[in-house]
Amino acid sequence: MQDKLQQFRQEVLDSLKSVKDINSLRGLETKYLGRKGELTRFLRGIAKLEGEKRKVIGKLANGIKNELLEKFKELRDSFEGTTREEGVIDVTLPGKKIEQGHLHPITTVLNELEDLFTAMGFMVLDGPELESDYYNFKALNIPEFHPARDIQDTFYVKPPLTPPSQEGKSNEKSDLLMRTHTSPMQVRAMQKYGAPLKCVVPGRVFRHEATDACHDSTFYNLEGLMIGEDIAITHLISVIKEIFVGIFKKEVKIRVRPGYFPFVEPGLEVDMRCMICGGKGCPSCKNKGWIEMIGAGLVHPKVIEYGGIDPKKYGGFAFGLGVDRLAMMRYGINDIRLFHSGDLRFLEQFLSHTT
Amino acid sequence: MQLSLNWLKDLVEIPKSITAEELGLRLTMHTVEIENIEKQAEKFKDVVVGKILEIRKHPDADRLQLVKVDIGGEKLNIVCGAFNIEVGQMVPIALVGAVLPNGMKIEEVEVRGEKSKGMLCAEDELGLGNDHSGIMILDNGAKVGQNLGEFFKLKDIIFEVDNKSITHRPDLWSHYGIAREIAAILGVKLKSYLASPFNREGTSDREGKVILEVKVEDFDLCPRYMAVCLDKIKIEPSPKWMQERLMAAGARPINNIVDVTNYVMLELGQPLHAFDASLIGTNFKTNDSKYKIIVRRAKKSEILETLDGEKRELDEEMLAIANGGRAIAVAGVMGGANSEISNQTTSIIFEAANFNFISIRKTAQKLGLRTEASMRFEKALDPNLCEQAIRRAVELVKKLCPQARVVSDLVDKKKFSLNQGPIELNLDWLNKCIGENIEEKQIKEILESLGFEIVKDKNLLGITVPTWRATRDISLPEDIVEEVARIYGYDKLKLTMPKVEMKRSEINKARALESRIKNILVGGPSLTEVYNYSFVGEELLKKLNLDSSSYIRLANPIASHQTILRQSLAPSLILNVKTNQARYDNFGFFEIGSVFSSISGEISKDDKSEEKLPYQERRLAILVAGGEKEKVFAKAKGIISYLFSSFDLDVTFSLAETRSGWTAMELAANILVKGKNIGSVLGLDRGISKSLGIKKEVVIAEIGIKDFYRLIKERGEKQFKEYEKYPPAMRDLAFVVEEKILYNDIREEIENYHKFIKKVELFDVYQGKRLGKNKKNLAFHIVYQADKTLTAKEIDKLQQGLIKKLEKKFEAKIRNF
Repeated sequence: MQDKLQQFRQEVLDSLKSVKDINSLRGLETKYLGRKGELTRFLRGIAKLEGEKRKVIGKLANGIKNELLEKFKELRDSFEGTTREEGVIDVTLPGKKIEQGHLHPITTVLNELEDLFTAMGFMVLDGPELESDYYNFKALNIPEFHPARDIQDTFYVKPPLTPPSQEGKSNEKSDLLMRTHTSPMQVRAMQKYGAPLKCVVPGRVFRHEATDACHDSTFYNLEGLMIGEDIAITHLISVIKEIFVGIFKKEVKIRVRPGYFPFVEPGLEVDMRCMICGGKGCPSCKNKGWIEMIGAGLVHPKVIEYGGIDPKKYGGFAFGLGVDRLAMMRYGINDIRLFHSGDLRFLEQFLSHTT
Repeated sequence: MQLSLNWLKDLVEIPKSITAEELGLRLTMHTVEIENIEKQAEKFKDVVVGKILEIRKHPDADRLQLVKVDIGGEKLNIVCGAFNIEVGQMVPIALVGAVLPNGMKIEEVEVRGEKSKGMLCAEDELGLGNDHSGIMILDNGAKVGQNLGEFFKLKDIIFEVDNKSITHRPDLWSHYGIAREIAAILGVKLKSYLASPFNREGTSDREGKVILEVKVEDFDLCPRYMAVCLDKIKIEPSPKWMQERLMAAGARPINNIVDVTNYVMLELGQPLHAFDASLIGTNFKTNDSKYKIIVRRAKKSEILETLDGEKRELDEEMLAIANGGRAIAVAGVMGGANSEISNQTTSIIFEAANFNFISIRKTAQKLGLRTEASMRFEKALDPNLCEQAIRRAVELVKKLCPQARVVSDLVDKKKFSLNQGPIELNLDWLNKCIGENIEEKQIKEILESLGFEIVKDKNLLGITVPTWRATRDISLPEDIVEEVARIYGYDKLKLTMPKVEMKRSEINKARALESRIKNILVGGPSLTEVYNYSFVGEELLKKLNLDSSSYIRLANPIASHQTILRQSLAPSLILNVKTNQARYDNFGFFEIGSVFSSISGEISKDDKSEEKLPYQERRLAILVAGGEKEKVFAKAKGIISYLFSSFDLDVTFSLAETRSGWTAMELAANILVKGKNIGSVLGLDRGISKSLGIKKEVVIAEIGIKDFYRLIKERGEKQFKEYEKYPPAMRDLAFVVEEKILYNDIREEIENYHKFIKKVELFDVYQGKRLGKNKKNLAFHIVYQADKTLTAKEIDKLQQGLIKKLEKKFEAKIRNF
C-alpha cells in the first residue's frame, strides 16, 4: 500500500512536468484528484484498513494529498497568471465596487469649523433648539416690544401641556419658541462656565419667514464667544479673518461695517466678497458684490451681567456665522432649500470627505 | 427707506469730488448699509418720447391697433392695445431692450402676424402712478426722441436703506438724520436746521377768536403734544419740486397739506398729522371757534374708521386722539376718516406729538397696521423734534399757500425728561476696547460732529448725549465706543490676536460621538446623511397611525405640513423614501437631530425659577429601503451591529412587544446592548406605505444619543487582553427546530452550557420545504477553549451533552454533515 502510494505520487509528479497549459492540467487534476480519481480510490482503501496500519498509511496518504494539491495549485496559478484561456487581464477594468456614503454638506462645513475652533482652544457647546423667551431675547438685551424683535420673526409654540379640553381656545403663544439664533447659548455658557471663556455653538436655528432660494425657515448658525480681560474689536476681526482663511484656505476679501444687534455694543457685520460673481454683482449677492456672513460685536455689558459675570472686570466678543451661506459659497449651491430636500441627487454629490 | 441725494444736498455740503457710489459706500462702512443706489435717469434708460404718426386697425385683431411712431430719426411700428391715443400725440415709447421699473422686459415680438418693435407705456408700467387706463400722454414740452427721464427732469439719485437695519436709530429715519451722519463721515458741515418760530397772526375767517385746547390724560403714553390751527387754507396739489422730492423718497403726493406733513416727516423724522378743523370743532354761537383735543386711551370696542377706509375696533390699551366726544385718530398710527383733509378743507389743525414707543408698537401690531408714522414712533423719537417739525410745517404751508394764517396759539403740552448723561468715558478704556490708539483730538472731533458735547476734560471725558440719541439709543460708555469706532472706520484698524492663557479646552464628548457615528455610517454601511425639518404635519402622523395629541404645537406655523414638533425622526425619513424611490433601487439614510416632547426636561427656562424647558434629546435614526423585506431588515440590523461593534459594544436583538403605529406586525425588534433596551428596529407596515405611496420595503432604527453615550462611558477604556495560551477548537453544529423558537434563546442556551464554550456564531439559517412546515435549520460554529489543550474526546463529550440539552429544551433535530 505504502509503495503504491509512493508510486502514485511519482507518477503524478512526472506527468505534471510535461503539462504545458491549463487544459491539460485540469485533465490531470480530474484524473488523479477528482471525486472518482485515483487518490480517492486510495483513500477509500485506507478506510478499510485497521488499527496502527490505518493510522500510519492514513498519515502518509494525507501528506501526499496535500503535497499534490499544493503542486496543482502552484501550477494553476502560474498558468492563470500568464496565459488565461480567456486571454489577458484588462488591468484597466474597474475594481470591485465598494459603495460610498455621503455626509451632509452642512455637516462637513461644521466639522471643519469645529476643528478650526477646537484648534484655537474654543469649547464646542450644544444648546436647546426649543428655547425660552428669556434666553433667546430678554437675557440678550431684547426686552418685549423691542423693535429688534422685528428682525427676528419667531416661531412660538403653544403652551406644551394644554389640556385637550382647552385646545380649541388656546391659540396663545407660550414663553417658549424655536431659537432664532444660537446666541442664547452665550448667556447659558457664561452662567455655566464663568470667565474667562472661549466657546463656539453650532446648531440649527429657526425664523418665521417665507422660504425662497436664499431663505429657509430652518438654517444653521455657528456662534462664537470669547470672554476675558481686555478684549478688543481688533481681536474680534482678527479671529474672524482666521476663520475665513481656515475655511477657504486662502485670503478672502472681507469688509467690516457697523451693524446692529442688541446683544453687542459696538455691533458690526462682516461681508465677504461674493465668490460666485467675484464681486461684480449677481443674484446670489443681490447685485451687491458682497455677502453678509457674520454678525458680531463686543458683548453688551447687560448680557455679560445676565451671564453672571462682572462687566466691569470682563469684556468679550461674540459673533454669529451663517453656516448655510458658507456652504453655499463653498460649493456653489444656488438654492438653500436643497439642504432639507432629502434628495439623493443633491446629497450623493457630497462624499464622506468632501472638502 | 428711500433717500433723495438732492434732498440730502440741501442739508449738508457734500463735496463735488464724492460720487454717489462713494457716498453710498461711506454710509455703508460707517453708518448703515445702503442696499441700492438708483439713478432716476437710468430708470428710463431705453424709454423715449415718440410722436404718433399713424394709427391703423390690426387686420387680424379687433382689440389691437397698429401704431407708427417717430422716435427721432427712426420710425417704429408698434402693436398697441390701448385706444386713448390720437395721431400727433407725444407718448412714452419703451424701446426693444428696455427694462421697465415694473420689471417688464421689452422684446421684439410678433402679434398675430404683425411685428411690434417696442411698447407705448401707461403710467403704472413706468412706475409713475397707478393709472393703467390708457397710454400716458405727454404734454407739449416733450421733444421727439428725448429720453423720458430727461423729459421729467429726473436727475435725482435714490439711496435705499433696509428699514430693519435702523431699528435702533430713531434719528436715522429722515434725510436730516442721514445728513448729520454724512457730515460726520466726510468731515463736512451740516447745515443748521432752524425753522423760524411763528406767532398767532389773527383770527378765523369769521373774524372770531380761535381757542385750541389740548388735554393729555396720560403723559406716559404721550410725553408731548403740540398743535396749532391754520386758516384760509386752499387745498390743491403741491408744487412740482415738492412732489418730486416726495416721489424720490417713495411717498405718493396727495395734496398740499398732506404733502407738507409727509415732507416734514421725511426731512426731519417727526410724523405729523393734519385734521380738518371744521370736522372736529365745536362752533360757538358767536364767531369764535373752540377746538378741543383730548389725548386719551381708547374705550373698549370703540370703533374708528381710519384713513384707509377700514373700520377698526380699538381697546383700552390703545391711545386715541379725540375731540370732545369721539376718536379722530389712532395716536401715532393713523388718522380717522372723520377728520380727513378734503378739497373742501379751509382750516386745519397740525399735530406734532410724541408717543410712547411701546404703546405705539403694541397698537400697530394689534391693528395689523404699520404706517410710516408708527414705524418711526416705535423707535422712540426725541420729543424735542415736535417743535422743529411744527415750525417747519407752518413755514412750508405759508410757502405753498401764502394766504394761510396761523389763527391759534401754539399749544404745547409736555412732560418728559431725557437722560443726556453726561456719560463718563475713560479714553484709555475706549482705546483698549477698540484695540487702537486713537488720539483724543480725533475722538472729540468724531463725537462733536455727531452732536455730542464734551463737558469735562482730562483723561475722563464727560459726554453729553444729543437729545435725538438720548431716548434709548445711547446711555452707556460702550455706546460711545461704537460711535467713535464706526466713524473712525473698522477697516482702518490694525488687527491683532488676543493674548490668552494656554489652557486645554474641554471636549464635548457627546457631540464628538455624533460626529464619529456619522463617519462610521457613511463608511462601511455607506449610508447618506439627511437633514429633515424639526417640524412635521398632523396629516402625516395620522397616516402613520400616530396620535399627535401630546406633541408640542407651533403657535404660528407657516405650512400645514409643518405644524408640530417632531417626537421621532422616523416620519420625515419615511417621506425621504418617497422623494427618491423612483430613481434608486436600494438606499439607506440616517439623520441625527433633536426631538421634542411636552414633558418637562432638564434644561432650565431661566435663572430665576425652577421651571424647565420641554424635554429635548438628540436621536440617531437609520433607514434602509429596498426590494426584499427580510434583506432590508437584516441589513438594518447589520448596520446597527456594525455601528455598536465599532465602539466595542455587542448588540443582540429581542422580540419587541410594543410597537409604534406604523410598524409591521412581524418586523419589530428591540436593540439590546449589555442587556439594556436602547432602541428598536422596525419595519414599515405594508398598508401604511401603500397609503403614503411608498413602493419600497422600509426598515427604521432609532436610538437616543444620550443612551449611546452612556453605554460608551460605562464600557470604560479599552484594555489589551493576553492571547489565550491554549488552542481553540471549533466544531460545527446544525439542527432543525420549530420556526417560532428564537435564535436568541438558543444562542443563550449554548453560550451558557459550559464555560469552555467561548464563542457561538450563527453561520447559516435555512427555511424551506425540505425541512417540513414551520421548521428552520440553524447552523453554528462553536468555539471551545480552556486553560489547557482540550482533547478531541473531551470536546466530543461536551458537544454530545450540548446536543442532548438542545434536543430536550428545543426539540432540536441534529443534522449530520
